[in-house]
Amino acid sequence: MLGRKVYLILSFIFIGIIAIALSFYLYNKPHVNIQKTDADYHLSAQQLIRDYEDFEIESNKKYSERLIEVEGQIHEVSTLRGNMVIALKPANSPSSVICHMLPEESEKVLMLKKGQIIKIKGKCTGYLLDVIMVRCILVQ
Amino acid sequence: MKGFYFIIINLLLLNCLTAQGKYLTKEGYVSFFSHSIVEDIKADNNQVLSIVDTDTGEIAIQLLMRSFMFKKALMQEHFNENYVESYKYPKATFSGKINNIADVNDLNMEAEIVGKLSLHGRDKEISTKVNIRMVKDELILSGEFTVEVADFDIKIPAIVENNIAKTIKVSFELHHKPYK
Repeated sequence: MLGRKVYLILSFIFIGIIAIALSFYLYNKPHVNIQKTDADYHLSAQQLIRDYEDFEIESNKKYSERLIEVEGQIHEVSTLRGNMVIALKPANSPSSVICHMLPEESEKVLMLKKGQIIKIKGKCTGYLLDVIMVRCILVQ
Repeated sequence: MKGFYFIIINLLLLNCLTAQGKYLTKEGYVSFFSHSIVEDIKADNNQVLSIVDTDTGEIAIQLLMRSFMFKKALMQEHFNENYVESYKYPKATFSGKINNIADVNDLNMEAEIVGKLSLHGRDKEISTKVNIRMVKDELILSGEFTVEVADFDIKIPAIVENNIAKTIKVSFELHHKPYK
């Protein structure tokens, strides 16, 4: 009888520990590792902008919050509050894909030159005159 | 109503973009802060689009809800999926007017800004003080105000009710450059 009670208490403690560990893990779950995760879409800056310009609502459903690998020509490299920002702008387009880079990419971004064609992977957050991407990395 | 508002904001954006003496930023900063006994929650957005017409004082601001960056991934997920429903309402907009903008100079001046904040499919009239100054060719607006979560029909599940404040503090800093 006593043995069963001890067994029951131990099981409860065990389940409790698992539950606490699981909630702690979920609560502190890290952001998606951009480097290690495959992109959901691979396309050119021009195509991404065109999709948003023509079908903003549909493109928002398709691309927002997704990991996208975008290829395009560097129009501008700037710094914003300590982090690097790269604008990829197709010729004859008033819009760009604005990529906010992760801090660990800064050194590599400093080596880039205007006009260079590069590939960037990051999370798309939507469209505001330009397509916005955050947490971006350079794809080698 | 949403469609009507969308047209207004776009007209204002277009009007501002084609006229002279207009100021624009695509890298404005907006953050919000929630303090509760359980935890503090803060999120930053560095991709805010803002346009000011210095002749009339009109201002139009747009931001993407998904551009709010949280320290914890789970908070960001809950914010977008459960609370503000970013997939349905991807943007927040503000359209209004800055009073006494004609007096702006290089000193820190206080002005009143009145307008409509649209978020999560709901509109709310906002009136707040803003610090405004002109530094070289930059028109800088900064300040903070509070919003009530309930005003925007954002439902917080009972289980996390104590984790999120009922009143959220919003801070902003917008460095506009002349639009050429």
